[in-house]
Amino acid sequence: MKVEYINPFYKATLDVFRIMLNLDVQRGQLRAVEELAPVSEANVVIGVTGDLRGSLLYSFPKEMALEMVTTMAGMPMSKLDAFVCSALGEVANIISGNAVTMLASSSLACQISPPQVFIGTQGSLSMATEKAIVVPLITPIGTFEVSVSLSSPQG
Amino acid sequence: MWKEHYRIGSELIDSQHHELFDRVASFIRAVQEEGAWEERLDQVQATLEFMKEYVVIHFNDEEALQREIGYPGLEKHAAVHAAFREEIRQFAQRVEEEGFDEEKVQEFAARVMTWLIMHVGREDQRIGEFIRSQGGQQ
Ligand SMILES: [Fe+2]
Ligand SMILES: [Fe+2]
Repeated sequence: MKVEYINPFYKATLDVFRIMLNLDVQRGQLRAVEELAPVSEANVVIGVTGDLRGSLLYSFPKEMALEMVTTMAGMPMSKLDAFVCSALGEVANIISGNAVTMLASSSLACQISPPQVFIGTQGSLSMATEKAIVVPLITPIGTFEVSVSLSSPQG
Repeated sequence: MWKEHYRIGSELIDSQHHELFDRVASFIRAVQEEGAWEERLDQVQATLEFMKEYVVIHFNDEEALQREIGYPGLEKHAAVHAAFREEIRQFAQRVEEEGFDEEKVQEFAARVMTWLIMHVGREDQRIGEFIRSQGGQQ
């Protein structure tokens, strides 16, 4: 798992948060973990295949998730229902898609799978075969984390 | 949902975007309101029907504008429009076959909302930048 793979995710988050939410994002201290594990309530998992393989986990605190969708929809959201969860899944999907496009400009062609959303902090995702790097992303409405576990099959 | 900074400098396109955001907002309201699903269904159905047609009109008008001003990204932009038009068509067809399932409609509303914000907020803004770079023609 190379640290170079991280920057596109930060840049894509910066872009997408500015356009969708008019919010600034700052990067917190990176850390390495053994497995992908949710730290907050609202989680999105996205698989990556191609020149890099692995998974991405986006973990949002509940209040932040609700605030994000409230801002986008222009109306108050009070529960993590199918609408809110799908919107979060889409945001993670857009960020991942943009990040993967940036990786492609360094000649790494990857595809992403549709987002899967789950609620709760129970368990870890066993699909991670490689260490993950967790990127805390600090915004005025809360901090969420993106865990990136990607490796090149060619080594 | 509509923001003044979404304006690209074409009166027709700006008013269509405004209308689209307003309709998506009322779609979300209908989808998210408290109360029996059956009672909100009429509104949901009507908005979906409207969206299906309005998106086609808007995409055509926006592509015509791009052609008129010689916008260099037309082909790519039109392909993005076509993909989304197809997505709406498929959803409408699925609803016809399987009926309006509340959760499926909620998911669809979220998809339309995020798509519209990203597309108007990014891709369509590039048309505005081009118009401004050409000295503000319509
Ligand atoms: Fe548009
Ligand atoms: Fe467009």
